[in-house]
Amino acid sequence: MGEFEVHRVRFFGLVPAGVRCLACQPRGGRLALARTDGAVEVYNFAANYFQEKVIPGHETRSVEALCWAAGDRLFGAGLSGEITEYDLALLCVARSVDGCGGPIWSMAANSSGTQLAIGCEDGSVKLFQVVPGGIQFERNLDRRKGRILCLSWHPSDTHIAAGSIDFLRVFDVCSGQTVQRIMVNYHVLKVRRECIVWSIAFLSSGTVITSDSFGRVQFWDWQRGTLMESHTVSTSAVLSLAVSEKEDSIIVGTSTGATYQFQLLPVKMGSLEKRWVRTKPFQHHTHDVRAVAHSSTALISGGLDAQLVIRPLMEKMQKKGYDAALRKFTFPHRRLVSCARKARLLLFQFSQHLELWRLGSTDETGKDGEVLPLCRMPEHLVQLKSKGPEHIYCSCVSPCGSWVAYSTASRFHLYRVQYEGDGVSIKKVPKVPKLLLPAYQLQFSSDSGSLFVASARGSVHVLQLLEPGGCKHLHTFRPPSGSPEAVYLLASSADGHWLAAVGGDWAIHIYDLKCFKHHCTVPTYSCAVTALAIHPITNNLVIAYSDQQLFEFSIPEKQYTAWSRMVQNCGLHRVWLERDSPITHITFNPKNPSHILLHDIYMFCVLDKSLPLPDNSALLMNQSTLKQLPETARQRQLHAFKICKKFQPLLFADLLDENCLVMVERPIMDIKTQLPLPIQQKKFGT
Amino acid sequence: AVARRRRQKAAGRGKRGPPAALLSPPSSEDEAPEEVSFGVAKEAAETQRKLVGEAVRRHRELLREKRRRRQELFAEQKKRKLLPEALLQELAAAPTDRTDCLVLSVVLGSITMLQGFTSLYLTRSKGNYTAVCLKDQSITGLHQQLAKDFLNTHLYGPDANRAQANDFFSLENKKNPVKKAAVQFVDKSWGEYKQLCRYYFMHMW
Repeated sequence: MGEFEVHRVRFFGLVPAGVRCLACQPRGGRLALARTDGAVEVYNFAANYFQEKVIPGHETRSVEALCWAAGDRLFGAGLSGEITEYDLALLCVARSVDGCGGPIWSMAANSSGTQLAIGCEDGSVKLFQVVPGGIQFERNLDRRKGRILCLSWHPSDTHIAAGSIDFLRVFDVCSGQTVQRIMVNYHVLKVRRECIVWSIAFLSSGTVITSDSFGRVQFWDWQRGTLMESHTVSTSAVLSLAVSEKEDSIIVGTSTGATYQFQLLPVKMGSLEKRWVRTKPFQHHTHDVRAVAHSSTALISGGLDAQLVIRPLMEKMQKKGYDAALRKFTFPHRRLVSCARKARLLLFQFSQHLELWRLGSTDETGKDGEVLPLCRMPEHLVQLKSKGPEHIYCSCVSPCGSWVAYSTASRFHLYRVQYEGDGVSIKKVPKVPKLLLPAYQLQFSSDSGSLFVASARGSVHVLQLLEPGGCKHLHTFRPPSGSPEAVYLLASSADGHWLAAVGGDWAIHIYDLKCFKHHCTVPTYSCAVTALAIHPITNNLVIAYSDQQLFEFSIPEKQYTAWSRMVQNCGLHRVWLERDSPITHITFNPKNPSHILLHDIYMFCVLDKSLPLPDNSALLMNQSTLKQLPETARQRQLHAFKICKKFQPLLFADLLDENCLVMVERPIMDIKTQLPLPIQQKKFGT
Repeated sequence: AVARRRRQKAAGRGKRGPPAALLSPPSSEDEAPEEVSFGVAKEAAETQRKLVGEAVRRHRELLREKRRRRQELFAEQKKRKLLPEALLQELAAAPTDRTDCLVLSVVLGSITMLQGFTSLYLTRSKGNYTAVCLKDQSITGLHQQLAKDFLNTHLYGPDANRAQANDFFSLENKKNPVKKAAVQFVDKSWGEYKQLCRYYFMHMW
């Protein structure tokens, strides 16, 4: 089928930020996640755990607590002392209110989602009303000395339990008074260190559960002020704790990266008396697990190793299948790399800067798997630092390599890049058109003459790029029936005729660039789009969905292609559908029109539409088998999916020219060595 | 009796042998402990002592820093509570039937002496005083820093038992059934810069 020279690139020094907070949306099927750099993400469980929304971070934003309130409103609070509401349609901060208590360590919503309680540095617990359009300060509860590190509402909303240093307190919400104060380090012998209560939960039975810096999970009877049970799970701190809705299961996260499940089990078979028992230990993380959540079917943990781990509980699963598989997410579900094919340039997007690299080259060819000697090394051409504290939303380099654009929450930047011999000069384009910011996605046209800007409410702006370095707003496309959500994916055709745009409502709109009109809408599908691209010759739109389905839609004919219908009829291979990460990039080979190139984090695939589709009995990943077969046997076993798993974790893959691929990998170990320090693990004898 | 105890202590010291870290596991209890040269043991003890000393020094620095910050915070708060010296003297000296204008000008004049404030709201009210509201940015920053210090001390301080990345991940390599070398030495074949980019030849069927 093909021989390729592969540029295997590992100089994208991406270090994802650690996971700091997790919050399951009550009765919503979504998970909100906050990172140590202030970024907030939303994962959709039903869409195969797709990372459907990302709000980039901010230099001064620290999120110490995250919670859902009033249904689908998301609030965060942190050490800046402010309560922030996030706008999930516009993907930005909606509003901020000063808590007036100093840094905020914890926040929790009551069971009806109408009130927020915050735990502050000054030792106060403050109540806020969630009202349409914002939040309103209600009152302070009784304030004592000691920062409030964690708090939890009783399910009846009558009491709040708060954890501090050496103490836990219970407040009566109505009167605001402290009705109980319990010393938590009473039972520790030879105490010289403070006992930090890192997290707390309040059960409807009146049991208060705490996790502390001595590695203990303790169960308290708050009314009597007594310790009911104490479990020491670790020599290091237990940093996080979450209870299931049914209150029969708990997950705790420790500093060593271990997580444990506790379950409320009967003491003897059939006995009515129940006890909390530590049932399952897990070691999914290498670094501190500062956030855990418990959905109705899974244990969820997030670590400072930047991993989000979702562990479905077997007993909650109806059938043994892919639904019950462990899911581990380290990398974003979107592209952070763009490529200028002709110029052989790569643009890497970091949270506060961009890097432009020129690829090296080799003159040799060789045998399969052979490493070829370099004749020219890759060059780091430009580093563009984003001015200001806001993190970058999106970036792009034009196919010719002469334009670079990026956007933050409030600013849009366009640069002209000039290559003189071996040197590079970069000049900012002044007076860019005033657009509603941020831009959520940027895409240059294939002739590098236009820039498409994905914007809020389903709209896409078309900017014309002018020589020697200017920009003019040409047109703004809007979906015919409007949309509250922002556009997050764009694709343009090679002939400059068509533009496809996907918004947060998962509708794909196709616009005609010649007459600036809406052309058609792709039939709605029940899942999020993770990648799309338009074929340079046929103008077929290839779409990858988060449930791993693939569709091909003919833009000129406004309908799915025959091949796409065949794929839907036969069904995709089970192994294909059970992949853990979404397809983030689709591209084509102009010299081989029947080929579709796509990749996810763990595999690169050349899909040959001219070959038969494999059925479930065939081996999907058969490249190594095919290699060893004689020619005639090989012809019989060839199928459409040519998958290579040699390069992983794969952040980006593209075809530079008909025989040349570039693969951008990010080895996990390269990330781990740049994270905050992990806890020492002693191994006897080493 | 004191002399006897001192002699016993001296004898005990000699019998202690090499530091505990260098002893082999007690599974082989009937065998003699590993032979370790005095030089190696001495060096190991030195490094241990140095590390502990550094950790203690760092902890002391941290406490000193915290105390200094607290003092600064209290001084700031105190400064804010009291009106400037000049104003107090002026008010004390002024007779009670002075007009509002003089008091106002004195207050305005002394406000420039207060440092570190960004926005200023002045409201005139009845009587011979003026209420002034100031939003203080520096205190927010200080609180945030104290909060971050608290986190760092408890998660990464001297009691936290943290390991260097190289040590931590090398342990993984050694615990595996197939033992590998320490992390910084793995895959050295790629060389320094060449690690970042390689060219393969790949055939797809």
